[in-house]
Amino acid sequence: MKKYLKYIYLFAFITVAYILLPVMNGDYLYTIQDNNVFINGHTFMMETVTGEGGWIVWVARYLTQFFYHPWLGSTILILFWVAIYWITIRMFNIKDKWCFAALAIPVFLLYDLLSYGYWIYYAKAPGFPFVPTLLVLFVLLYTWGIIYLTRNLHISWHLKGLIAIGPLAIIPYISHLLWPTSWHWHLDYQPKNGILTTLTDKNFRHELRMYRALDEFRFEDVLNEMPTDGQAPTNLMVLYKNIALMHTGQMDRMFETNNCGIKPDTGDSPKIRTSLLGAPIIYYMFGHINYSYRWAMENAVQYGLSFRSLKMMTRCAIFNQEFEVAAKYISLLKSSTFHRQWAIEHEAWMMNSTNFIQSKEYQTLSPLLSDNKNILDGDDGLCEQYLLEYFSDLNHPSTPLLENVTMCMSLWAKDYYAFCVHFYDYVNNHPNSPIPLLYQEGAILLGNAEESPITLDQFRFDDVVANKYNGFIQDYNQLLQQGIKEQEMAKRLKPLYGNTYWWYYYFYNDFNIY
Amino acid sequence: MKLKNILSIAVMATLLVACKHLDVPSDAQMESRLPKIYPDYTEVMVPANICPMNFAVQEGESETIARLTSPGGTYIYGDNQKVLIDETEWTDMLKSAKGKEIKVEVFAKIGDKWKAYQPFNIYVAEDSIDEYISYRAIQPSYVAYEKLSINQRNLTNFDEREIYNNMSVSSEKVGQCINCHSYKNFKTDNMLFHMRQGYGGTMIVSNGELKKVDLKTDETLSAGVYPAWHPTKNLIAFSTNKTGQSFHTKNLNKIEVQDTESDLILYDVDKNEVSIISELDDELEVFPTWSPDGKKLYFCSAHFEYYNDSIEKSAEMIQRYDEVKYNLYSADFNPDTKEFSNVQMIYNASDSLGQSVTLPRISPDGKYLLFAQAEYGCFHVWHADADIYMMNLKTQQVQKMDALNSERSESYPTWSSNGRWIMVDSRRDDGNYTRPYIAYFDKKGKAHKPFMLPQKDPYFYTFYLRSFNRPEFMIEPVNITPQEFAEKAKEDAIPAKYADR
Repeated sequence: MKKYLKYIYLFAFITVAYILLPVMNGDYLYTIQDNNVFINGHTFMMETVTGEGGWIVWVARYLTQFFYHPWLGSTILILFWVAIYWITIRMFNIKDKWCFAALAIPVFLLYDLLSYGYWIYYAKAPGFPFVPTLLVLFVLLYTWGIIYLTRNLHISWHLKGLIAIGPLAIIPYISHLLWPTSWHWHLDYQPKNGILTTLTDKNFRHELRMYRALDEFRFEDVLNEMPTDGQAPTNLMVLYKNIALMHTGQMDRMFETNNCGIKPDTGDSPKIRTSLLGAPIIYYMFGHINYSYRWAMENAVQYGLSFRSLKMMTRCAIFNQEFEVAAKYISLLKSSTFHRQWAIEHEAWMMNSTNFIQSKEYQTLSPLLSDNKNILDGDDGLCEQYLLEYFSDLNHPSTPLLENVTMCMSLWAKDYYAFCVHFYDYVNNHPNSPIPLLYQEGAILLGNAEESPITLDQFRFDDVVANKYNGFIQDYNQLLQQGIKEQEMAKRLKPLYGNTYWWYYYFYNDFNIY
Repeated sequence: MKLKNILSIAVMATLLVACKHLDVPSDAQMESRLPKIYPDYTEVMVPANICPMNFAVQEGESETIARLTSPGGTYIYGDNQKVLIDETEWTDMLKSAKGKEIKVEVFAKIGDKWKAYQPFNIYVAEDSIDEYISYRAIQPSYVAYEKLSINQRNLTNFDEREIYNNMSVSSEKVGQCINCHSYKNFKTDNMLFHMRQGYGGTMIVSNGELKKVDLKTDETLSAGVYPAWHPTKNLIAFSTNKTGQSFHTKNLNKIEVQDTESDLILYDVDKNEVSIISELDDELEVFPTWSPDGKKLYFCSAHFEYYNDSIEKSAEMIQRYDEVKYNLYSADFNPDTKEFSNVQMIYNASDSLGQSVTLPRISPDGKYLLFAQAEYGCFHVWHADADIYMMNLKTQQVQKMDALNSERSESYPTWSSNGRWIMVDSRRDDGNYTRPYIAYFDKKGKAHKPFMLPQKDPYFYTFYLRSFNRPEFMIEPVNITPQEFAEKAKEDAIPAKYADR
């Protein structure tokens, strides 16, 4: 039994590693590769090897791309860890019963990979899933080689040590002389609670999956990711959800489907920003092509070029008919291993405008693009606030989709002035159509407010809305008279009114922009 | 088979492949048009000392052969779609073709048939070009920045190295942005560049000595921004600017960079003193440049009156962004007394044409003034309608430089030290990334078709995701190392004194 111990330890580690990596965190690994870039060819190689980390980073970036298929990438990484385990045992002649100690390094490397959490967006260490593993392997092989080569030399251990460590110590110095900016790792912030985020934060995983579904225009899958167990979603999830509702013609259901987002609990991450996590795809989905391009570029500049940014910039360039720059990005993506097919498909859009016009992306977004008025503006890095204000202020929307978006966004922003104007236009534009319940809910609440710019006396609300609203006001006032605190009121009224705009309007005051 | 034999065969095979004899196909079908090549080097005039003009043939997935014929000999190249010219052979060709031309014949194998395209010429000028250019390598980003460097490139070969890289002093918490670099008389013993935010200050090399100064004083708007070295005195004219950025929702110009306020200052390098040149109310003065004799300062200025007190100036500027139009001015300068006088508008672009003039640069012989002109604003690199214009300073006649312009942005014109070469920053390639284009400027005052700065790999620009910002000619390399700049950058900046005029 004893002689099998090292295999048993190894098997247990491999099993745990597979469970923690592709089984539980496939989306995490996929996102890591999406935030990575590797372009086959000399130019990219030279740019990488002359930068920080040199060849190790180039190899690490090459290997990171295999997380496109999380099982494949994980298998490669685990094989490296197995090699580290075997070499450690051989080098130190570890006895079978102590072989579990040789797993210390692979376990730490596994922990390291999982400890990023939201830092997968911020880490300015390209190829980070493989860099520590490759470095450890390099040092082990080097030391093993020195031990092997000096085995017959009758020299002291001190001298052997010097032979072993000396060249390693000189490498950074030589590198500094040749490439003065090398060997600066600018990760001053360190992820602290990342492991908890990766392993236990459901919202984090929902966000990863929702992004990918949005990216692939699978809107039903986005909606299916919204928690149904009462767990509060993040603002980003709410945004993704509302985008999916918008593009499936259900935006007026936004308050039925939990619209009360929270800021993710990232503990130590002072820089968590919607602009980094999702602004390019969010702006794109709202038809704000220039702003989508801008944030894809900004993120690429600040946190390194990524497949994600390249793909967003490609799409934006095609929509803007900037075909030469789109071709540039496509040629880069075509030189990648796993995003080549995506690039070829999008290249076809450029080659044949019919392909583009018939594409799902164009069909989906074109109703939002008909508003041609240019505005010189800025979002101060606050994507959701900007979009809420932009669409609330958009007058005379030119398509039914834009009409719905302006109504819903002004309700979401609690902008009674903008909503009333849009509602008035809507009623006049659709004299013979039934008014969606959400708009009636908004109008009965905001239109009767003192500050309302228009009067809604002439408008007949559906009985079901009017009665429910009266019930809500009655219940609300009753609880108020009883001196019930707002939080408790929200809780008590939620079963009856939680899916109405009124409940959102009265009780969701924590609109935490980040 | 023994290992030795296997190795011998392998070496022989390698040598055979390496020595593969290239020849032009004899059965090629003649096409009636020029080949599609990238970069477009057809019928361009090149300096007598330029590096090889490597190019790629874009005739589908083809095998390519190019025959280059100069008076000194004929050479044949071909590496799939690339035409990579041997540096020594190219130098020989340039020598023999000086004042003449190199004929280029291109053959491409489409499927299994060879096609021959109409030959074109690369004309070799009698004149050489300055050996170096420097530029800021920057992604065409908006607000964010990360890795920035000022690079110097040897134009006679493909050598390139960094002059300074901001990552040598930046950290995650404190980043550093590098701004405009400038040289006195194309030499590098008097040069400068500016750094913002982390370890901010202006890095000045004065007679070979490096120092870091802080040009912001209580009396001036900002530190020095757009610089111009006086050609004879140790003086630098700067603009001072309060700059902001805003973003178009639809317009493909995408960004506006605007000054809400700007003035001109003069910095005396020896005395470390700053004084005001111009700080007129309702005027946005910017882009100073000296005449070659140092007796005139040219600059741009826009008349802009803020009239809405209820909002901030920056907000009003955003609302009225397309009303900001710059004109061209000159002022006499006495280098001995350092006095400016006789300020004159020499080109009224705003009222008469509804246009905006920026980035004036005067030819070394003092005869011509190049500038960039577009419909509005000061940051023409983001304005697709921006084109290069030239003023004859004797007649003050202005002409559009059609040969230099494209449908996309052209900006930042600059002259070589002998006045025979013009370099402009152009976005003609793809509309987003700025590339340096070099054109011959003949003795009759005519600019020829420009060529994109050659690279060893002709597809370099396809993969390179940075812009070439502020390309400047230099007759010698910067010899201060990046490490020396970085060490100096970490020191405190010496505050400049303010001198009242």
